[in-house]
Amino acid sequence: MATEYKKIYQRPYAIMPVMSGYCPGCLHSLATKIIAEAVEELGQQENAMHVLPVGCAALGLLYWRGDMVGAAHGRAPAVATGIKRCCPDRLVFAYQGDGDLAAIGLAEIISAANRGEKFTVIFANNSTYGMTGGQMAPTTLIGQKSTTSVYGRSVDEAGYPIKMAEIIAQLEAPAYVARFALNTPKGVNEARKGIKKAFRMQLEGKGFTFIELLTNCPTNWGMSPLKSLQYMTENTMKYFVPGVYKDVEVEA
Amino acid sequence: MAKILMKGCEAVAEAAVRGGCRFFAGYPITPQNEIPEYLSRRLPEVGGHFVQGESEVASVNMVYGASTMGIRAMTSSSGPGISLKAEGISYLASCKLPALIVNVSRGGPGLGSIQPAQSYYLQATKALGHGGFRVMVFAPYSLQEAVDLTYEAFEYAERDRNPVFLLMDGCLGAIMELVELPEMKEPTDENTKKWNLSKKEGEKRPPRALTPIYPEVILEMENKLRGELYKKWEKEDVKVEEFMTEDAEYIVVAYGIAARVAKEAVLTLREQGCKIGMIRPITLYPFPKQSFHKLDYDKVKAIIDIELTIPAQMRDDIALEVMNRAPIFEYGRSGGNLLDDDGVYDAIMKVIKEVG
Amino acid sequence: MKQSILISGSGGQGVISAGILIAQSAADSGKYASFLPEYGPEQRGGSAKATVLTSDTEIISPLPKKCMYWLCMNEQSFKKFGSQLKEGGVLVYNSNRVVSPITRTDITAIPVPSDQLADQIGNPKAANIILIGALLAARKAIIDPEHFLHSLEEKFMSKSEEIREMNAKAFKIGAEIGSKYDE
Repeated sequence: MATEYKKIYQRPYAIMPVMSGYCPGCLHSLATKIIAEAVEELGQQENAMHVLPVGCAALGLLYWRGDMVGAAHGRAPAVATGIKRCCPDRLVFAYQGDGDLAAIGLAEIISAANRGEKFTVIFANNSTYGMTGGQMAPTTLIGQKSTTSVYGRSVDEAGYPIKMAEIIAQLEAPAYVARFALNTPKGVNEARKGIKKAFRMQLEGKGFTFIELLTNCPTNWGMSPLKSLQYMTENTMKYFVPGVYKDVEVEA
Repeated sequence: MAKILMKGCEAVAEAAVRGGCRFFAGYPITPQNEIPEYLSRRLPEVGGHFVQGESEVASVNMVYGASTMGIRAMTSSSGPGISLKAEGISYLASCKLPALIVNVSRGGPGLGSIQPAQSYYLQATKALGHGGFRVMVFAPYSLQEAVDLTYEAFEYAERDRNPVFLLMDGCLGAIMELVELPEMKEPTDENTKKWNLSKKEGEKRPPRALTPIYPEVILEMENKLRGELYKKWEKEDVKVEEFMTEDAEYIVVAYGIAARVAKEAVLTLREQGCKIGMIRPITLYPFPKQSFHKLDYDKVKAIIDIELTIPAQMRDDIALEVMNRAPIFEYGRSGGNLLDDDGVYDAIMKVIKEVG
Repeated sequence: MKQSILISGSGGQGVISAGILIAQSAADSGKYASFLPEYGPEQRGGSAKATVLTSDTEIISPLPKKCMYWLCMNEQSFKKFGSQLKEGGVLVYNSNRVVSPITRTDITAIPVPSDQLADQIGNPKAANIILIGALLAARKAIIDPEHFLHSLEEKFMSKSEEIREMNAKAFKIGAEIGSKYDE
């Protein structure tokens, strides 16, 4: 008797059947996948509108199946504003890295959040500038080494790592602000649910939604993928504490 | 339709709406504030969208976003703000997105002065952003011309999939004159539907991407096409007024408000029997090269470049076409001082005496 | 016939609105008109200047060096723009504010205590209309005073009748003074 196979898992529709160009062990691939799953679970494959940033996060261009716009460095929330205002029914989301969002694009992210633009920003925080070669990011941890902080980030010169979820949660307008860490299956599952919730709230017109995903960069951190996940638990997550920072559905 | 007395900035804003503009994002800066102010109340009336951006940088990127959806979108600013928009304008060109950018110019460089000036010719025609792209630069000299050019601007922008730049100085932004407004065009994405990312309800089509980054082979191909487009503009899209140039011994070259004052001087001098004419570029890019090659250099004794800026910025473009066949003089005012009829007349007379 | 009117004062004195009223009235009567304000960075209190041109033919340059007529509302601008009135021109000035002696002999100077008169009719804001009344009555070729009154009425159509009457009154008070200088 022939064995019957049941399909229990497949590549989400929004991910192209091509090899990922991300480095081995990089959590950008995982982040892209769970975003695609959230889109699919909500039946939004045709309706999704993906705004890509500059940096590693822009590599989504090669793997994402769906309408996409490439934005200038840091400007994704402004581009998304133009899109969402003109086409309010589309599921619009920007995917941004930490240099893009927390340095050059600070004005754009804070202002879009403060206006309560009805789209979602997913922020991949891996404490480094990946694509340009591992320079210090606004999110680089205190003492963490990078190619522009070879002795480790010093508070004296570079201040403290910037906590974007906490900052955005202070604003009145945002509807949902949460941070998840992608270094454990539990964290991944929570993140997927959080992204799905943010998308649903966007579609319901509830306001600006913001998801910070803690990710890694084995290449620039100079660690094996497994070691990088451990580093996240021991360091990143102690400073950038995962959790829901704002949820108007709970407050109501 | 009857002519009505309108302020420059408002006339341009209304013409844009009538030309199908349904999205505006901008940031306050003198002397163009009446454009966003007008559109903030006008766009909602026609189902359009107005956003006051957090900066010029953000505003031009909002326009970029709106344009990807096939919406006719514009932004406006003045010099310092246009410099901030430079990044976004380059991305618009790279991503091949139509848009209208209006620059109501003031004195520069730096914060310069808020008074009218024509100090952005070089920026507008040579490098509005990084990467060696060009845009069509319209330079109206009356409100009627500003209205007509604005009304047509989106057609050019969509035809070429490239931003269009309207360069007018603070005088034209602030002046009130009689204008006849064109009919309201219904917005349509007819010209952009092959590539824009909008979807009608229930519409299914293969995914589309609009990005400002290209694989090497494609980038070279795209840049070749850009080069061809710019050459085509020179052949087909030059707008210029050649005023009394046929028998002219003296040729004034001026655009925008400077051309208004210069034309008055030309008329006065003609009455006095002086053989003088004027070349007035209406498109600063593509520059009206042929107008200079048509001149009879056996007759032309001098070319006088008159601009509301110091030093003259159009002079290099003029010199490239005149090719040393006549001497070029320049006259201008700067620092918030305006050109005036007598000053321009005297400046021309000085040249005539010197060359004459 | 091309007419040029310079209007000057300080921000808030109604320089701009006076210019627009004259330009609009000229346009209503079928003439070409242009109005060009020149501005400083201040919202209030800085010096304000505007030029109005009216003509039966299209206006080419809106930037004359000198104007034929001048409505001057304060001392500061009187000192600043004195050379911009043509020979043989007409100066209508707010004599409550312009205190320097009028030394030019090649012009017609019409003093109008417009602040005082405006206060008397209970509308300090109408001082600019009083000055316009004086100018148009002295030089009817610019715009027929009757026509201007009609434009004034139209412009303030949405305002109360009291305001419209007050404006008309201000214009007539000025016109009474100006008519003594009618050529």
